[in-house]
Amino acid sequence: MLSFVAQRIVKGVFVLLAIIVMNFFLIRLAPGDPAAVMAGEAGASDEQFVQQLREKFSLDKPLPEQLFIYVKGVVTLDLGFSFRQQMPVAKLIAERLPATLLLTLTAFGISLLLGITFGTLAARFAGTWADTAITVSALLFYATPIFWVALMSILLFSVYLGWLPSFGYETVGGNFTGWAHVKDVALHLVMPAMTIGLFFMATYTRMTRASMLEVKRLDFVKTARAKGLRDNIIQRRHVLRNALLPVVTLAGVHSGTLVGGAVLTETVFAWPGIGRLLYEALLQRDYNLLLGVFVVCSAMVLIFNLVTDLVYRLVDPRIEFAS
Amino acid sequence: MKKFWKLMLRNPGGVIGLVIITLAIFVALFGQMIFPTSPWRMVQRPFLPPFTNPMVTLGTDALGRDVFAGLIYGARVSLLVGLVSTTVALTIGVPLGAIAGYFGGKVDDALMRFTEFFQTIPSFPLAIVLVAILQPSIYSIVGSIAIVSWPPVARLVRGEVLSLRTREYVQAAIVTGQSNTWIISREILPNALSPVIVLASLMVANAILLESSLSFLGLGDPNLMSWGYMVGAGRTVIRQAWWITVFPGVAILISVLGMNLIGEGLNDALNPRLAKDSR
Amino acid sequence: MLKKFVLALALSTVSTMALAQEPKMGGTINAVIQPEPPGLMLALVQNGPTQMVSGNIYEGLLRYSKTLEPQPGLAESWTISPDAKTYTFKLKQGVTWHDGKPFTAADVLFSIETLKVTHARARNNLVQLDKVEAPDDYTVVFTLKQPFGPFIGIFEVGSMPIIPKHIYEGSDVKTNPANNTPIGTGPFMFKEWKKGSFIQLVKNPNYHVQGKPYIDGIYWQIIPDAAARSVAYETGKVDVLPGGSIENFDVPRVSKLPNTCVTGDGWEFFSPMAWMWLNNRTPVLANKKVRQAIMYAVDREFAKDVIWNGLGKVATGPSSSAIKFYTDNVPKYPYDPAKAKALLKEAGYKGEKIRLMPLPYGETWSRWGEAVKQNLVDVGMNIETIATDVPGSNQKNMEWDYDISFTYLYQYGDPALGVGRNYVTSAIQKGQLFNNLEGYSNPEVDKLFEEGAVATPDSKRKEIYEKVQKILVEDVPVAWQLELQFPTITNCKIKNLITTGIGVNDGFRDAWIDK
Repeated sequence: MLSFVAQRIVKGVFVLLAIIVMNFFLIRLAPGDPAAVMAGEAGASDEQFVQQLREKFSLDKPLPEQLFIYVKGVVTLDLGFSFRQQMPVAKLIAERLPATLLLTLTAFGISLLLGITFGTLAARFAGTWADTAITVSALLFYATPIFWVALMSILLFSVYLGWLPSFGYETVGGNFTGWAHVKDVALHLVMPAMTIGLFFMATYTRMTRASMLEVKRLDFVKTARAKGLRDNIIQRRHVLRNALLPVVTLAGVHSGTLVGGAVLTETVFAWPGIGRLLYEALLQRDYNLLLGVFVVCSAMVLIFNLVTDLVYRLVDPRIEFAS
Repeated sequence: MKKFWKLMLRNPGGVIGLVIITLAIFVALFGQMIFPTSPWRMVQRPFLPPFTNPMVTLGTDALGRDVFAGLIYGARVSLLVGLVSTTVALTIGVPLGAIAGYFGGKVDDALMRFTEFFQTIPSFPLAIVLVAILQPSIYSIVGSIAIVSWPPVARLVRGEVLSLRTREYVQAAIVTGQSNTWIISREILPNALSPVIVLASLMVANAILLESSLSFLGLGDPNLMSWGYMVGAGRTVIRQAWWITVFPGVAILISVLGMNLIGEGLNDALNPRLAKDSR
Repeated sequence: MLKKFVLALALSTVSTMALAQEPKMGGTINAVIQPEPPGLMLALVQNGPTQMVSGNIYEGLLRYSKTLEPQPGLAESWTISPDAKTYTFKLKQGVTWHDGKPFTAADVLFSIETLKVTHARARNNLVQLDKVEAPDDYTVVFTLKQPFGPFIGIFEVGSMPIIPKHIYEGSDVKTNPANNTPIGTGPFMFKEWKKGSFIQLVKNPNYHVQGKPYIDGIYWQIIPDAAARSVAYETGKVDVLPGGSIENFDVPRVSKLPNTCVTGDGWEFFSPMAWMWLNNRTPVLANKKVRQAIMYAVDREFAKDVIWNGLGKVATGPSSSAIKFYTDNVPKYPYDPAKAKALLKEAGYKGEKIRLMPLPYGETWSRWGEAVKQNLVDVGMNIETIATDVPGSNQKNMEWDYDISFTYLYQYGDPALGVGRNYVTSAIQKGQLFNNLEGYSNPEVDKLFEEGAVATPDSKRKEIYEKVQKILVEDVPVAWQLELQFPTITNCKIKNLITTGIGVNDGFRDAWIDK
């Protein structure tokens, strides 16, 4: 077990390194550099101005040297300096990461919970109208662009009904503390988390349904049934548990997509997370910041994959058979 | 083949999906003939509501352009993006997966590391970065969607090939000294096809969604009218002119739904055992 | 001729006195800031959002009325010598920095030396400066190499922010950590910046204008999506939408919301002007007739009415009508597709492909690009739209890699500051923005702009600039489109927000909330 984890971590470090190198060059291929952006915003530019900026961003150094400096920094957990924001990248990301984690993990929880519940129900009533209703409504959420759901829910819940705040992480100037603060953040969280959650719910619903049907067919379930075990118990103890394995795998694969979904959702809801930070960094060609967010996101995906693999091992059916 | 159609037609969802997509393809192919006015032309006063002027049935957008014309022309772009990017993704993913699964060992290891690498980078951000680097155009959009969507194909094909490789008829072909290319392309891939087709139908749907998300962020091709572009362009005026976004939004929803229904139908038709059990 | 301005110490000027209502104290204003500024240190960062926030923190020596007359700021009075080469400023006494240290002439001298290094526009504005001295703590004397007409117009807070010497002296201004907690003399002090969420400013209790500011603080809210910004206003979460914070197409609807006030004032100093760069190096566009054809082909009234909701004015030439020495006595280019076609035919245009690059600043600009493209296609031009983001567009413009490219630039009240830079030969410099990007070169125009900047008196400048406008409009080096107006939308309870020609960029010192 321990060696398995260690092996995975070593592998992950190499993947991360490869990602750094690829993105480092990729980002610099984009037309326009930070100096061009800032010169544009200043409403004035002359040679001295642009030159100063390029020096400041270390863009006057040869590329391999820039890469070397960067990688050297990353090894010591220093993600470089965002000259645009006048702050260390690590600090900027640390400020924004909790918001994204809160959002994506909540959304992930919602999607898993709803997806497994509805998927189980659909499988249970496979072939009936209930199955069709669940499948179709899950598909509808999946087929609607995520930003569209976001806009519509703002109109419905913020403008017409006035139930939920339309933007931000908390009420600005509210100065809530304790439970009031938790409630305030939770209210702001509902719409963005639901928007992402419902989209992924569809996938889990389908996966759970398909996998439940598959498992039901397997011999051990038939045996259990033959043994005369009650249907409820079979469902819970045997079918669901085994059917969840592919769902867990899928969840691991999805973690990268989840972060992607956060880019759009965070933009529409003004959620101060790293998804938005990534998009803004790209538009400003803030190389260090963009690279930093990529590294952190990829690391998150790797960690997430590791966790799902461990979970997989824990609920592996072979272990159940052995006991 | 006959059996396949019989099974496919037995699935009402699949039939609905087929009808939707056939219709969409028809519009994409022949819409321009029936409807020759460019969707970019400003034909009427801006913000004309739908069903008020028979000339512009679905109303006009912020510049007085015909929303209906946009839908017709958009069908071609959106479907094209979906189909072409999926094809590109398949041409990357299928050979990679097949080679990895067939040869196994070090080759497999290396190719799967490569695939994992692409799966670790969050896909939507990567797509955004790629489009931004290459600058938005139909080529860069199709290309970046393909680049972020091939890894699942490779993994799936690898798995299938891995299990097929041990089958007797494949082993027989190897013993009789057939070339690897021949075995992979004639013996293995045809039998691994059905799950790939199912996956591909879902990928088309995903690609249409991805294109609309890119357009939403202003990363669409400005020379081509797509549904995603229409939604993105209309969303800021949604309060006073719902029809500009709702119609293309519904078009996206329906075709994505259609592709998904086809996918399910295919799945059931190609995996008859499962279909029988669930019904 | 002797010209002398002496303005007595005044608490505030005409605009506030005209108000019948007595200002009320207290309250907090929530305003939208878009996009999030990269920093708040105005001497280092000069983009729009930075000035909008930092215009509250820092101050300039002067402010400018809506008719661009100078008004006291940190300087309470000023005199200009008869030869128009020496400007003497008397600074206000008893002004303190937010950290309590006194403000003196030494700060002004230090700021000017810093700005010459860090602030490209200030550097350009100061080209005619020979020396600047401080005979005592409250007097600053600028001596020019030769008379420079627009000089009195360069002391606004964004053009010449005064920064504290005691904080920055002896350090590298660019990396000083104090940049994250900016210290100025302005009516509001920096409190907190929660990145991605908000910037909080609080009232400066020791502000040097007695009784001001009226409000207790400002929250600048950061909301990246335009539609979400209008919802935030609609649901009462923000009270002020500065120009450009919501899409133009949304302005009519939001303006009609109850208790909503809209004004186009406060942009007189900047007088933003939109045009299309026509790359004079592109073979087709090198032909004057093609450039004129473009002017006739584009329906600018449509752009004004439909894309800008009737706000702004169709431009007649290189100068905005809000700035000095403007004339409309120039050749006119009404919308006339037939004439455009005829001109294209005369020029021998055979359908060569022309690339059009819209400004990547949101939906309004995208729609504008699409409309213009359709206009040009209608007269038989072969147009391909190039999509790009802001860095890409800047890069392409800087490298002259475009055929037609949208832009809008500020004109800063005087043709010597904001107009000449786009047409004179000496401003053709690759790798930079905002200069002569189109590559137009005409010795006569060069000479006129050179003379105009240093001529005295104003009547002579007027004569020169009217002549140059006529030549330019005939030559069409670029295709002028609209004098833009960015509406500021506020909840009507907010009073007196815009009192100068610099508008919301000049700080909220006069604003108050009616309860």
